[in-house]
Amino acid sequence: MFGNHVHKQLSAYLHGELSSEDASRVADHLRDCQRCRTEFEEIEFGAQMASQLQREQAPDDLWADLELAISSHRRGAKNAEMAQRSSGFSWWNWKTGLVGATVVVIAALTFVYLNRQPEPGEPDNRPSWEVTRLDGRPVIGKQRIAEKGKLPLGEWLTTDETSRAQISVGQIGEVKLEPNSRIQLVETLEDNHRLAMARGKMEAFIWAPPRKFFVETPSALAVDLGCSYTLEVAEDGTSLLHVTMGWVAFEWQGRESFVPAEAKCVTRPKLGPGTPYFKDASAEFQSALTAFDTGSIDSLDVILTLARKRDALTLWHLLTRTDGETRGKVFDRLAQLIPPPKKVTRAGVLSNDRTMFDLWWKELGLGDTEWWRMWKGDLPTQSR
Amino acid sequence: MNELHNEERLIEACRRGDRESFRQLFELHKDRVWTIALHFIGDETAARDITQQVFLKLFTAIQQFRGEAGFSTWLYRMTANACLDEQRRRRRFLSFEFFKSDDGELNSMDKQQAQQFKQELVHEDQHAQLELSAAVKSAVKELKPKLRIAILLKYFEGLSYEEIANVLGCSAGTVASRLNRGHKELAKRLQHLRNDI
Repeated sequence: MFGNHVHKQLSAYLHGELSSEDASRVADHLRDCQRCRTEFEEIEFGAQMASQLQREQAPDDLWADLELAISSHRRGAKNAEMAQRSSGFSWWNWKTGLVGATVVVIAALTFVYLNRQPEPGEPDNRPSWEVTRLDGRPVIGKQRIAEKGKLPLGEWLTTDETSRAQISVGQIGEVKLEPNSRIQLVETLEDNHRLAMARGKMEAFIWAPPRKFFVETPSALAVDLGCSYTLEVAEDGTSLLHVTMGWVAFEWQGRESFVPAEAKCVTRPKLGPGTPYFKDASAEFQSALTAFDTGSIDSLDVILTLARKRDALTLWHLLTRTDGETRGKVFDRLAQLIPPPKKVTRAGVLSNDRTMFDLWWKELGLGDTEWWRMWKGDLPTQSR
Repeated sequence: MNELHNEERLIEACRRGDRESFRQLFELHKDRVWTIALHFIGDETAARDITQQVFLKLFTAIQQFRGEAGFSTWLYRMTANACLDEQRRRRRFLSFEFFKSDDGELNSMDKQQAQQFKQELVHEDQHAQLELSAAVKSAVKELKPKLRIAILLKYFEGLSYEEIANVLGCSAGTVASRLNRGHKELAKRLQHLRNDI
């Protein structure tokens, strides 16, 4: 009997994983064998302890992080596909192809090697931006930084409720990251300085020419047009942009908003950039705009009634977000506030004549369209 | 049954690239991936990375999922692999693993140093250690990775030995043996709480 101790089967016995024959053999053995019984009590206690473990709730902002990661992944896959399409393999003979392919593989491996996350203790060769601690202990990747740190390409900078940090954006500007924020360095090219913000608040001050600095949020891309601004990203991906100097454009799937100094703009997941408005607009005007941006066409009348001359910025954007007679109503109100130039007609605007949009914009006193649209060829086209 | 059917429809929609369905699938499973990652690795930043990694992989590989192994098994397998990979990556850090011999015991020459290191950590976390669940969590964290993952799959997900074996790519006998050792280790480490429950 004691030659056949059952200690190896005790957990399986406890969990009911043994056949009835084996289970009754173990039960019989336990009745007679003090040694196995002691061990069973030990295992029972260990199991009782393990059953104290409780399922945890995942943080709410995990999806925002994941959406950014998916977007980065898709962008990478698209670039790879475009590179493959443009390579024109068909005219190569097989030898040239082989040499070329080898070069591409070596280049790709080198790129992957240089840009991968290094093992602990190994020097980090990835391009990086300098980070200065302002308060608390910000974290880069998994490491807390003391006074200064490096934010390598692909890595996250995270602040908790007590920490703040400042990022040097290459040679072109600075970004201050406020508490409870999370931001990733996505690109460090000369013409494409790019961060992705999953949550929190940042303040950017950029002195480079327009279109050098970008911030991806879960619901839109913020394109710097030479300015200073704050950007807040909520747990659900909704973001609020507040421009304090210069211009910023918000863009998502062809829908765009141009936001000047003293104006704000909200961008929402699945809806993209909302309509920009000046921060001194009345609360009633702002809530009607929120309703319109989230699908309530009825609130347009309130917006048009309350609009001041300064709100021509908002109304001009509304032209691009409406069509048919709804656009006609916006045209009429905007014409009362800022009369259109001679070459701009109601029929032309209703038929989406982009030259007319540009001409009218010039009358708003917000700068020349040539300047702010030089980085982008198309008008906002999405309409409701 | 309905739940299973709903999951199948979601997976099918995800294969077609429907982002909203992917989000629903994420909402359905995020807590279980997060819980395993957090208890396995022990810190939130790494658990966040692991969870993101698992779902990103799921998103990119869902086209290849053919359903032979069952979606949950596939998801648990990716989670377990991501946890074990992270553990391997961390091996160069000075940790308890460093002081352990293959059987999980401390080498005698390092025992004193490890003990001191442990006491410092225990001291830092003394308040949390007063809580039973925190003590269990901490004890689980100190288990060898292969024992730890088996314990987590058993107690969080309630998987059978056969299911755990499928996830980990080993036999049900090996799972039984790992759980046995895991239980004994936990009992040893939490001996002082015997009278508390």
